[in-house]
Amino acid sequence: MKMIWLIAAREYTENVKTKGFWIGILLFPIILIAVFFFQTILAESAPTRHYILIDQSGQYAPAVEAAIRQEHQRRILQEFVAYVIEHRKEANPEQTVANADAQIDQLIDDVDAGEVAALDQWLDSGGLNFALTLATPYLREDAPPFVEPREQFIQAPLPEGVDASASPEEIIEQMRPWLSGGRQLRVDASDGSDGSDYEETSDLFALILIPAQVNNSILRPSATPLAMNQSAAGIQYWARNLTDVRLPNAIERSINSTIRNNEFAARGVDADIVREVQRTRLPVSRLDPSAEQGQEAVSVADQFRQWAPVGFVYLIFVSLMQSVQYLLSNTIEEKSNRIIEVLLASVTPLELMMGKLLGIGMSGITTIIAWLLSFLAFILFYPGNQAEALGQFLDVLLSSDLIPYFVFYYLAGYALYAGIFLAIGSLCNTLKEAQSLMMPMIMILMLPLATMTYIAQDPNGPVARIMSWIPLFTPFTMMNRAAAEPPLLDVIGTTVMLLLSIALVLWLSGKIFRQGVLRTGQPPRLMEIVRMLRQRH
Amino acid sequence: MQDNVLELTRVSKRYGAFTAVDDISFAIPRGAIYGFLGPNGAGKTTTIRMILDILKPDSGSINILGETSALNVRQRIGYLPEEKGLYKKMKVWAIISYFATLKGMDKRVAKARAFELLETYGLKDYAEAKVESLSKGMGQKVQVLSAVAHRPELVILDEPFSGLDPVNQEVLEQLIHDMAAAGQTVIFSTHIMQHAERLCDRMLLVAKGRKIFDGTIADARAIIPRRVILECQGDITPILQMDGILGAVEKSMEQSHAEPLSIGTRHWELQIQEHANPQLILQRCFESGIPLTRFDYTQPSLHDVFVHLVGSDAKEHHFR
Repeated sequence: MKMIWLIAAREYTENVKTKGFWIGILLFPIILIAVFFFQTILAESAPTRHYILIDQSGQYAPAVEAAIRQEHQRRILQEFVAYVIEHRKEANPEQTVANADAQIDQLIDDVDAGEVAALDQWLDSGGLNFALTLATPYLREDAPPFVEPREQFIQAPLPEGVDASASPEEIIEQMRPWLSGGRQLRVDASDGSDGSDYEETSDLFALILIPAQVNNSILRPSATPLAMNQSAAGIQYWARNLTDVRLPNAIERSINSTIRNNEFAARGVDADIVREVQRTRLPVSRLDPSAEQGQEAVSVADQFRQWAPVGFVYLIFVSLMQSVQYLLSNTIEEKSNRIIEVLLASVTPLELMMGKLLGIGMSGITTIIAWLLSFLAFILFYPGNQAEALGQFLDVLLSSDLIPYFVFYYLAGYALYAGIFLAIGSLCNTLKEAQSLMMPMIMILMLPLATMTYIAQDPNGPVARIMSWIPLFTPFTMMNRAAAEPPLLDVIGTTVMLLLSIALVLWLSGKIFRQGVLRTGQPPRLMEIVRMLRQRH
Repeated sequence: MQDNVLELTRVSKRYGAFTAVDDISFAIPRGAIYGFLGPNGAGKTTTIRMILDILKPDSGSINILGETSALNVRQRIGYLPEEKGLYKKMKVWAIISYFATLKGMDKRVAKARAFELLETYGLKDYAEAKVESLSKGMGQKVQVLSAVAHRPELVILDEPFSGLDPVNQEVLEQLIHDMAAAGQTVIFSTHIMQHAERLCDRMLLVAKGRKIFDGTIADARAIIPRRVILECQGDITPILQMDGILGAVEKSMEQSHAEPLSIGTRHWELQIQEHANPQLILQRCFESGIPLTRFDYTQPSLHDVFVHLVGSDAKEHHFR
C-alpha cells in the first residue's frame, strides 16, 4: 500500500508540474470570464449603424421608425434592469428584481405578440425617466448614474444625386456604390461633450426601400403565393451584413402590425378591440408531480436541475479524456524509456498500476475542484444578472443529490476507462502505435456524448435504459438520468453491473499490464491479447 | 548468515522454439564481485530478469537472499536494467531519492543520500538539473546511483559500462569496489573482458543460453595454456624439446600485432603447461645460444579465454 502511495504521489506531483495540467485548469475560468466580459464589451462597443429609408408608398415610414425606436427602447430597458440589479439595495432585493422582471417579461411578451402599442405605453408612462424615479428608492446611495446606451441604428439622409422618386430598380442601381461599400455616407455625428455637430463618413448598413405599389404585394390567405422569381416584391431590405437580423426583424414585425391594423380598419374591425383580444391569455402552469405539495410549480431552478446532469456528463467526459490521455502517454514514456523495468524490480505490476490510477485520478479531481472553485469565485466577484443566474444554478447543485451522483460516476467511469487505457498503453511503445488501438475506445466514448441531449429529454426512455445497462456507458447515462429519478432497479442493477465490470476490467488490465509492460516490438494482435488474458501468473 | 546470496538450479527459459536460457545452474557467494559474461544474445538479460522475478523461468528454481522470489526481498536488491532510461522531467536528486523510497527508504534519508552520492561520484553540480538536460553518460551514472542508493545487499547491474567514457568507466569501477568493500554483493554483466578482469572475483560465462564457465579469474585463465612469446633469429628446436612445452606457433607480423620485426627475426608463441617454469625456458635459450630480441611470459587474457571458449558461436551471434 505504501508503494502505491509513493507512485501515486510521484505521478501526481509530476502531472501537476506539466504545462498541460495548468492549461486544463486555467482554460475553464478563462473561457468563463472571456464569455461574460466579451458579451458586455461587445454589447457596449456595437458600432453605430446608418440606414437609409425610402418610403415611396408614404404609408410605412412611421412604422419603420417605430420599429427602430422600439429596438432602442428594448436595449435601454434591458440595460436598465441589469443596472437596477447591480446597484439595488441589499435589504429588499426580491421586490425590485421581481418588478423589473415582471416589466421586462411583459414587454418582451407584448413585442412577441406583435404589439407595438406596448412600447408606446411604456413611453407614454414616462419610459426611462419614469422607471428611474420608480427604482431610485431601491438603489444604493453610491450607485453611479444610469448611462443610456447609444442609439445603434441611425437614419442617414439620401446621398445627393439619388432620386427618391425613381423606380426601385433605378434607385438600387444608383445606390450600388454605397450598398457595396465602395462609397461612404456623409453623416452628422454629434459630439457628446459640447453638442456641436460635425460631419463624418460611415458605411451604409442597410437600405430599406418601400416601393409605391407595395400594397399590391400584401399576402392574404386567399391569394396564391408569389412565385420564386418575385422574391424581391414587397418591402426591400438591402444589406451586406446578413448576420445582424435585429433590424429587418423589427421592421417586419412593425410593418406587419401596421398592415394588420389597416386591414382591421378596412374590414370594419375595431383595432383597439383586437389589441385587447391579442393581449388576452391564459397562462399554462408547468407542474412537477414529484415535487412536494405546494411546491409543484416548475421554476427556473427546476429546469436547471433537469439540465444540470448534462453539464455533469460533459464534465465527466472532458476530465476523463484528459486523464486517460495522460495515463496513456505516461505509461508509454515509462515503457519506451525502460524505466518500467526498474520500477518492476521495486514494486509489483499491480502496485504500479494502482499507483498510476490513483495519482492521475487525484490530478483529475484536482482539476475539477479547481474548475468548481473558479466557477464559485466568478459568481462571487462578478455581480450582474448573468452571474445571478449562475448563482441560482449553484444553489440547485448544492441542494440536490447530483453532487454525490457525480462523484460516484466520475470515479467509476475513471476506474473503468483508465484501466482499459492503461492496458492499451502497456502494449505500445510509441503514441503512434497507441493511437490505432485507442480508436475504438474513443468511438465508444463519443456515443454517450452524442446521445447526451437526447437522453436528458427522455431520461427514462428505452434508449436511456438500454444504455444504462451497458457498463461502458453506465457512468455517463446514469449521470444523465440522475435528476429524473430512474427506477430503483436501474439504479441498483446498473451500479452492481458497473462495479463488477470495474473489478473485471482492472483484473484483466492487470494481466495485460503485467505482460505488456515488458513487451518490446509491435503491438500484439488480438489473438495475442486473448492469450495474455488467459495466462495465469 | 548463509554463504550464497544467489543460487540458480537448472533454470531454463524458452520463447516459443527459441531457448534463451538452457539449464543454467550457479551460485554466488556473499560479498563477491561477480562478472556475468557472454556474447550478445547469450541470455544474460533474460537470466537477470528471471533472477529478479520479472520473468518466470519455465523450469528450475531460483533462491535469492534465502527466498524463492526476488519480489519478497526486493528492498534488499538494487537493479540497473540493460536499456537505460529515466523520467526526463524530474530533477536528478529527486529521481535518485524516488527510487530509493520505492525501495523502502525514508524520504528525508533518501534525499540526503542522493546528494551524498552525487557529491561522491562527481555529479554534485547537476543535482538540481533536470534529467533531460544531462548527457547520455551522465544520465547513465545517475541511473546507476539510483539503483544502488538504498544500499542493497545484492546489486545487479546489466551492462553498466556500455556508453560510458573511460573516465566514467573508472568512476563506475570505483563505485563497484566501494560497494564490495562495504560488504555488498555485486553482479554485473558485460561483454567487455577488461572490466571483468579488473573487477571480478568470480565470473560466469554463458553462450547460446548455456553455461560455459563458472569460477575464479585464475580458473578461467588456467583453461587456456600459458604462453611464452619469443622473437629471435634462427632455430628454436632446442626449446621445443623441453619438458612442459605443448607446442609453438609462428605468427606473422600482422597476427602478432607487434612492431615490425627486423629482417630474419621470427615471432613465436609457445604454449606451456601450468607447471612449466619460464625461467628454465629462458635459461635454455641462453644455453642454446639463441639470439633473443624479445622474451615475454604472459598470462592469457580473459579476452583470449572468452574467444577460446565461445569461439565461432560468438561471431555467429554477433551478426545474427
